[in-house]
Amino acid sequence: MTTDLWPQVERLLRESGRSIERPTRYLNHEWGCTYKPDAAYRFCMVYPDTYELGQANQAVRILCNRVNLVEGMAAERAYVPADDMADAMRAAGIPAFSMESCAPIAEFDAVGITLPHELAATNVLQLLDLAGIPLRTENRTENDPLVMGGGPCVLNAEPYAPFFDVLMLGEGEEVLPELLRMHRDMLAQGVSRADMLHAMAKVPGVYVPSLYDVVSEAEAQERGSWIVPKYDDIPTVIEKRIWEGFATSDAYEPQVVPYAELIHDRLNIEILRGCTRGCRFCQAGMMYRPVRERSADNIVAAAIRGLSETGYDEVSLTSLSTTDHSQIEDILRRLNRTFEGTGISVSIPSQRLDSFGVDMAELVAGGKRGGLTFAPEAGTQRLRDVINKNVTEEDLFTAVRASFEAGWRRCKLYFMIGLPTETDDDIKGIASLVQRAYDVAKQATPEGQRGNIRMSASCALFVPKAQTPFQWDGQIAPEEAIRRINLLRNSVKYRAIDIHWHAPDVSQVEAMMSRGGREVADVVEAAWRKGEHFDAWTEKFSLDAWKEACAECGVDFEGTAQRTYDTDYIPPWAHLSLGIQTRYFQRERQLADEAKTTPDCTYEHCTVCGVCMGLGSKIQLQGVRS
Amino acid sequence: MMEGEFKIRVTYAMRGRLVMLSHLEVARALERAVRRADLPFAVTQGFSPHMKLAFGAALPVGVGGDHEIFDVTMTEYVDPDEALRRLQDASPYDLMPESVEYITREVKAASVAYPFGTYRAVFDGPVDGLQVPDSITVIRKKKEKQLRPADFLVGALEKNGNEMLFTLEAKPSGSLRPDVLVNAMLDGAEDGLVNTDLGAARSDTRLHVVSLMRIAQRAE
Ligand code: SF4
Repeated sequence: MTTDLWPQVERLLRESGRSIERPTRYLNHEWGCTYKPDAAYRFCMVYPDTYELGQANQAVRILCNRVNLVEGMAAERAYVPADDMADAMRAAGIPAFSMESCAPIAEFDAVGITLPHELAATNVLQLLDLAGIPLRTENRTENDPLVMGGGPCVLNAEPYAPFFDVLMLGEGEEVLPELLRMHRDMLAQGVSRADMLHAMAKVPGVYVPSLYDVVSEAEAQERGSWIVPKYDDIPTVIEKRIWEGFATSDAYEPQVVPYAELIHDRLNIEILRGCTRGCRFCQAGMMYRPVRERSADNIVAAAIRGLSETGYDEVSLTSLSTTDHSQIEDILRRLNRTFEGTGISVSIPSQRLDSFGVDMAELVAGGKRGGLTFAPEAGTQRLRDVINKNVTEEDLFTAVRASFEAGWRRCKLYFMIGLPTETDDDIKGIASLVQRAYDVAKQATPEGQRGNIRMSASCALFVPKAQTPFQWDGQIAPEEAIRRINLLRNSVKYRAIDIHWHAPDVSQVEAMMSRGGREVADVVEAAWRKGEHFDAWTEKFSLDAWKEACAECGVDFEGTAQRTYDTDYIPPWAHLSLGIQTRYFQRERQLADEAKTTPDCTYEHCTVCGVCMGLGSKIQLQGVRS
Repeated sequence: MMEGEFKIRVTYAMRGRLVMLSHLEVARALERAVRRADLPFAVTQGFSPHMKLAFGAALPVGVGGDHEIFDVTMTEYVDPDEALRRLQDASPYDLMPESVEYITREVKAASVAYPFGTYRAVFDGPVDGLQVPDSITVIRKKKEKQLRPADFLVGALEKNGNEMLFTLEAKPSGSLRPDVLVNAMLDGAEDGLVNTDLGAARSDTRLHVVSLMRIAQRAE
């Protein structure tokens, strides 16, 4: 029997009155929840941030649905309580709880935590602590739940390694239920925790960090790997899992409809997976290869069913590159026809310069004319070739012209500062590009309305990511970043153009986390003990705390973020493989230096990244991409 | 309401954990229930078309209602029993429609239809010691304001064991929230002071509210 904490939680919320913000975060029984109170085996899926940020997360939704499909297994969701609630819970002796049955997280058989971005690391510790689960795998006993992790950060798992019993690399649809079944069987047989972990380490796509010793940097370079397995029968390289069934599986799946107001509160239909445009800084583009599309019929049917079951008034066609879908126009036309006169809108997560025509604009926006966003990322053609962002100035200007002629008045352009090989000319190039885009917008806008034009450039510091061709490149120092942004500001002559700049503090910690080895885990714990959590919330983040934590743990903060290596350097994540050959990363890095581009394999030929051959997978399109 | 449009008034109960929802959250949840029920709702014209819906007087967070109302404008006539059945199938238990009736254009808008609300507060102990204070300090738009409960209470406040029953009138100039009144009474019982800061620390020997519901609403 699971404990129901709701009476205590309800009383806490009632008694606290308005001193606890948004009590709706802690209610459950949302529409569309799956309840399996009789299931003997219970799994809790955690998003390591507050309800508002986590509820819309697709990994949580997909994995809970997959586990709930298993007979006798229940999956529930959990989020990190905000500080006001966490304090009140600690004072009242209430541990972190799940949504569906409001049960203590520590009572579940297994807990899965998705790791969406580097700044969530301290929230993992916050949640484990509130749940009363020992932070490190070495301190957990037979009575503690199995703590599992997955998601993008597992691409360099080392800074998280000591906090997880088991990590999963790649797509979790199959491997998660597989591991949970194994766990259930072994629990029934009374297998010890140590033996369970050993058995799980043999499952493809699974990394059990405690079963590997970490060697010194010098030794790692010699051996070609930072880890040494403690047993002969566990792999030395862990390869990611791919869910082969994605393209043919039903695009419809149950979705919880929250009561709380969220930023992106709508029905999500995942229409394709993967993007092989091959931007050299982009981790997601490397992670979800190869590209797999679902069919138009599947998608349209799923949107209709999903809307009628949830009552949402918006459906978003999600993926890394929605407009690349070979049937996207057909899909949008069919959906628009179906939902005419119901106030339902169809949206796509981001617009692409090179495939964004006026037709597409009309199809996604309906009557609305919100802001448009485009991401040229770099200011000159040379640098865009370096990063393999295959868009030209003309693409940008055509898209801007088309959209302003069609009635748009606001446009935001995204850029990165500090990309490899960047010079001052590239920075000035951003100013020039934005100003000329403004001129194009002005020409396309009737004279009387030109005062309404808003054009802005949003800049962020480049963060080198593990498992990308730029993984060896250091981040530029923050002082240099500030010099460059000032150069940009001074280069912009038009008063009507806004330059937004994200302070580099957060990006520095991201780079350190993205590139660090297992020693960084101590830094994460030290930072959390200093009060760091909800680091993705600017007002809660403190760069000093992170630097102090590094100093205490003997980790070189600047060096970890900023050092540049040759491409034959073995990084701390070399044992984790996306199926992409190191040779491919090296070749791409070399082509970057030569400012030579590599085409998208879904439009042209295979460029031999290695995924399809290595993992026995293949591109699955529904038609010819054009 | 245009010619050829029909308006229904839906009465629903809001209870259980969903009394924690804010008015905006309730509004959104009800709109989604109407969509799920697939009623032929009318949509406004213009750039961002939305459902023609109107809601009754708001309830404060933490206060439920046995017979709350909202109005939906429809483009087709649907048998009220059928409409109710569809709404019920599309609603969570704690936000459940209980009746549907057609209303004419002369009927007052849902938000001002019922200025008189009767509330039942249930506590975890006898309420004999609780007194209505002469005056309550509330914060409105960052300014302190004194409200006299006597100006809003209609008839006598009844005490019965662990329960209290009272009726409040919403005035065009403002209203007294039922939860504010109840908390002021609790604070008065505890330390002789009136404190409407709901977050203030309190000793644990005091009475606790178990539930606070608007059990009836009327026009006069
Ligand atoms: S192996 Fe070739 S076809 Fe497959 S994802 Fe890599 S580049 Fe594309």
